[in-house]
Amino acid sequence: MEPVGHMHPSTLSPTDHLWQVVWDRGRCTLCGRCTAVCPVRALELRVCRSRALNLSPGLVEKPSNTYGAYHAVHCSTEIERACVGCGMCGLVCPNDAIAPVRSAEIDRLRFHNNQGGEPRRRGGRRNDTTGILDRIKFVRISMLTDPALDAGRHEFEIRTLLGRVLPPEQAVAAATEQGWIPPVREIYPLIIGGMSFGALSPTMWEGLQMGVAYLNEELGMPVRICTGEGGCPPRLLRSRFLKYVILQIASGYFGWDEIIHALPHMKEDPCAVEIKYGQGAKPGDGGLLMWYKVNKLIAAIRGVPTGVSLPSPPTHQTKYSIEESVAKMIQSISMAWGFRVPVYPKISATTTSLAVLNNLARNPYAAGLAIDGEDGGTGAAYNVSMNHMGHPIASNVRDAYLNLVKIGKQNEIPIFAGGGAGKNGNLAANAAALIMLGASGVQTGKYIMQAAAGCVGTESDRCNICNIGLCPKGITSQDARLYRRIDPEQVAQRLVDVYLSFDSELKKILAPLGRSTSLPIGMADALGIDDYQAAQRLQIRHVV
Amino acid sequence: MSNTDTLIIKGTEDGRRVESRVLEERIQSALAEGCRSIEVHAFGQHGIGGRLTAAEAAPVQIDIYGYAGQRVGSMGFAGTRINLHGQASDDVGWLNAGATIVVHGDATNGVANAMAQGSIFIAGDIGSRGMTMTKSNPRFCPPELWVLGGAGDSFAEFMAGGVAVVCGFESQYRGNILGHRPCVGMVGGKIFFRGRQENFSSADARLVKISDEDWQWLCAGMQKFLEAIGRRDVLKTLTAERAAWKLLKALEPFERTGRKHMPLARFRTEVWDRELGEGGLIGDLTAIERSPVPVITTGELRRFVPVWENHKYLPPCQAGCPTGIPVQQRWELIRNGELDRAAALALEHTPFPATVCGYLCPNLCMQNCTRTRERLPAIDVTVLGRSSRNAAVPTPAPAIRNRVAIIGSGPAGLSVAWQLWMKGHEVEVFDHSERPGGKIASVIPESRFPREVFEEELQRVLRTVAFAQLKDTLNPERFAEIRDSHAFTVIATGADKARTLSIPGAERALDALDFLRKAKLGRAKAGARVVIIGAGNVGCDAATEAHRLGARDITLIDIRRPASFGKERAEAEKAGARFLWPLTPTAIGKKGVETQEGTFLEADTVIVAIGDVPDLAFLPGDIAVRNGYIGVNEQFQTTDARVYAVGDSVRPGLITEAIAAGKTVAAAIDARARGLEQTFDRLPALDPDRVKLAYYSPELRPGDDPAACAATCASCGGCRDCGLCVTICPQQAISRNDLPAGGYEYAVDPDRCIGCGFCAGACPCGIWALKENDPIE
Repeated sequence: MEPVGHMHPSTLSPTDHLWQVVWDRGRCTLCGRCTAVCPVRALELRVCRSRALNLSPGLVEKPSNTYGAYHAVHCSTEIERACVGCGMCGLVCPNDAIAPVRSAEIDRLRFHNNQGGEPRRRGGRRNDTTGILDRIKFVRISMLTDPALDAGRHEFEIRTLLGRVLPPEQAVAAATEQGWIPPVREIYPLIIGGMSFGALSPTMWEGLQMGVAYLNEELGMPVRICTGEGGCPPRLLRSRFLKYVILQIASGYFGWDEIIHALPHMKEDPCAVEIKYGQGAKPGDGGLLMWYKVNKLIAAIRGVPTGVSLPSPPTHQTKYSIEESVAKMIQSISMAWGFRVPVYPKISATTTSLAVLNNLARNPYAAGLAIDGEDGGTGAAYNVSMNHMGHPIASNVRDAYLNLVKIGKQNEIPIFAGGGAGKNGNLAANAAALIMLGASGVQTGKYIMQAAAGCVGTESDRCNICNIGLCPKGITSQDARLYRRIDPEQVAQRLVDVYLSFDSELKKILAPLGRSTSLPIGMADALGIDDYQAAQRLQIRHVV
Repeated sequence: MSNTDTLIIKGTEDGRRVESRVLEERIQSALAEGCRSIEVHAFGQHGIGGRLTAAEAAPVQIDIYGYAGQRVGSMGFAGTRINLHGQASDDVGWLNAGATIVVHGDATNGVANAMAQGSIFIAGDIGSRGMTMTKSNPRFCPPELWVLGGAGDSFAEFMAGGVAVVCGFESQYRGNILGHRPCVGMVGGKIFFRGRQENFSSADARLVKISDEDWQWLCAGMQKFLEAIGRRDVLKTLTAERAAWKLLKALEPFERTGRKHMPLARFRTEVWDRELGEGGLIGDLTAIERSPVPVITTGELRRFVPVWENHKYLPPCQAGCPTGIPVQQRWELIRNGELDRAAALALEHTPFPATVCGYLCPNLCMQNCTRTRERLPAIDVTVLGRSSRNAAVPTPAPAIRNRVAIIGSGPAGLSVAWQLWMKGHEVEVFDHSERPGGKIASVIPESRFPREVFEEELQRVLRTVAFAQLKDTLNPERFAEIRDSHAFTVIATGADKARTLSIPGAERALDALDFLRKAKLGRAKAGARVVIIGAGNVGCDAATEAHRLGARDITLIDIRRPASFGKERAEAEKAGARFLWPLTPTAIGKKGVETQEGTFLEADTVIVAIGDVPDLAFLPGDIAVRNGYIGVNEQFQTTDARVYAVGDSVRPGLITEAIAAGKTVAAAIDARARGLEQTFDRLPALDPDRVKLAYYSPELRPGDDPAACAATCASCGGCRDCGLCVTICPQQAISRNDLPAGGYEYAVDPDRCIGCGFCAGACPCGIWALKENDPIE
């Protein structure tokens, strides 16, 4: 509440806010848990006045007031303490007395969360629930025409290739002349996309790595995980688990000295190296780790001072063109492991993707191309970049694949698609659609955070405070008080659950296509959509 | 034809194959006619021997020679016995519901598919998908499949009941005797097998020990089976060694606990940590504990901790008072019944609490009172001020040899004198006026305050210090004399030189201060119409006095919005004064004041009140002057280190500001005289948002009863020991402790506190603050 008579342009009433906390006085036991857990201190105990008029029947006696006071759990209307809708208050409330409710109308907060001239920055996602991937259906269901498979009964070997595949004549020549054959990894087609050590908490990061190791070593699923740009703990670099890891190098070059120092001690080569040029969630902008999260540990791993924001430049400095950037970096990184490790760039989906792809097609060392669409998530970005910049992945990956078909290299350079797969929970369907549009594999991040660690973020601007290190689930926090809410073992277990169920669902989609060992990459005749324009654009069936 | 005769039905007729439909009709009609034994010379006809409903009444025997088609004995009825003398095609016994089917050779795919009752005996191998989808109905005996050789791939998929026996004898299969990956989806029944089998769906079935009962059943059944297929010769071989046999059983529901893999906890210790080292991924980089904690935590794991910040901030009233009078502390004393102490406390800060706090001060304390933020009336401090009229005079500190001269006996000068007296110094006050008291005594209209109150307070001061009237006008020589004969000299000569107008007829006007002074002495006169040039507070005082002296038409003009405020303004308005602006006087004539704007104001008396400046003619050259005032630093020290200057000679201001300056100078001189470091830091003011006014009733108007006023004071920043924090704390983490040195504190038990901030949210006085806990690094 404002003191009487003081109001400024950014004075907001509770209903001006996106999230409002509904508190039930009758159920509340004043246990203090909600105010203790609120990540942004939106909640506080407040003293309220009460007043009752004492009226006797027939007004026989002189009317009077009874004044008093009581205590309430109150949600602040201050901008910097605005409720983010995470719902932790409801989680800890023993009596279901409190919960955030999203405003039914467009909030007024958005006009004011640029105090001091600093535009809103946040983590999360695009805050758009729609997407073409969810509308794509698998319309080719073989029953009596093809030897359809039974997803539950038949054995599947769901694998994809990461690396440059030589055309047969070159492969034969290379083999007979004992020439260089590019490294190719046979991996599971769902890759955990780059989320850095720093963006994620240590417990979350370890949980994911542990889960990946388990999937590989206990369940025989060759799942790979990308480190993101934040370096890699030295122990992991020196362990056999490194082979499950795709190391990322990006324009900030954080922690690369540790990787270089570890080179002579590596028991295994990493699965691959991803050179990040762009991120789908915030194309044209570099990585950003805000100062809140740069504590001693993160600073040490990254080789930077503590308590400073770490923006990565949007481009690799000293790399001034595609030719230079791609040729120089791919070659240098390949050299570090004696050309035994596939090296590929990752770009944000853009209308200029094909220029990059064509360049890669001419570069024999390029192991693939990862394209990240606008629906990707991020730990920190400007709101405007996240909400308004970027390209949908579906048409971009389709264009890229058809371009490869045109130049006859669709079996040689794998395309990996990311950015929005599973954003509404339909991970297997979205991944299968991307594969049939032409992707050799799919990268996923947000889905994993939600499913493996209980991230509460939604496409409705819920929570989205990954950037300031206050993640109420401890997923993106560097504060031990928060990240210890996560048990790495349980994250690993959930990751295993996610992969096993994904695998079953993917089989349900692949089985009717009669595919059990080779992925239906680019098999777009199995896809349909009820939108004519989209069907035309993607060159898939229009079904109504 | 007798019923015991065997009917021969041929599969070819006139060199042509009889259709399956026709053959079926012929078999069914023969049975309907009572025939019980049929020999079929098959030529690829399907479904032979199935659906023989007549067998329910009396057993039927079907012998098939030649080339049987698919689905021999499908939907077989109990009482049917089929002997296929040769190889069988696909789906023998499909949906068999009771027939006994004997194949004297190999059978291809799908043997016994979906069979629910009956028996199938195969004298050789079977193809893939044998014994799949079988059922078992409690109303009937379970189905049985006996195979002398081996089975093809995908054996027993989705098997839900019955028994399969695969003897593995002289099989053409070289690898697994049950084929590749049998038992997928198997939910019931059991499979005896003999021979090599490398895999089966362990998610659905498991190998179990063959019990004695099982073994007896197997041996007995084996005899029947071998008899049926005519291979009694191998009975001994097959039943010689129990160990050669294995038994697969569908998992019971309770055994289906999901995939059997290493638990993650074990994986973590035995695989993960073993490879990476103790502490896992970053065990080498940090010693910070990472084991899981609950969402609601205590101790050092709390994100926020409450801090009891009693008297860490000044209450807004005290912070707003230039003199720094501890207003809130005085109300607290009154609340505690110590009225005398509350009254006396003021005297430690000001010699004129009754005159100034009680009447003349605009009471900045009240303007800053937290209660005004919610339109609650500020607590009336004038009540408190007036209560000090007869307060006990403090006992001064032991005398210290330090002579201080104070030139000027206005509120500033007497404030220095009073303070230094309390601190034990020798003080001498000089003034050329015969009446000490400065502007309060000589200028401010008596309508504003009761004269006797001031006189009493003035005498209270004068009893403590030496007062000397200066005979002559102060000049540089006399000043030097005073300065040289004292350790410190304080200039408090005020500002009583009127600013003058340089317009024609200015000499006709009276100077406001002079007018007020004379008015108080009863020597001033005012005409009926008075124009006052300058509508500040001095102008207002002049208006009030003019009214007292009989003026009835009083106009104050100013060139800008009048700066007057407070009681002065209110008194002038009460006197009926008009305020006109912007008006710039251009000349003062006999009849009145001319203005640039063209308005002519008739006047019998014109008073000029456009400000006063100090008369600094006495000042020696080594004391710097700035903009007509004496230049001083923050402690009111002039460019001569032994000379201080306070009050209006330094800058124009409120009486309370003059008194405050005196307090500062006295502290500075005292510290220097004693050779001590003096700090002049004041605590910061409490953020009034921390104070909870909702506890106070908006209806209560305390009036002028000190006790009622004290009760409504919110005690900002100072604990009132109400104990609400102890009560509200949901964790019972707060306790009140008496301190050994007296007093008390409220303390938090970190092992109980969850950092909810309820103490801070509930504390009426804003003492508790919820702070971020120290980072864990």
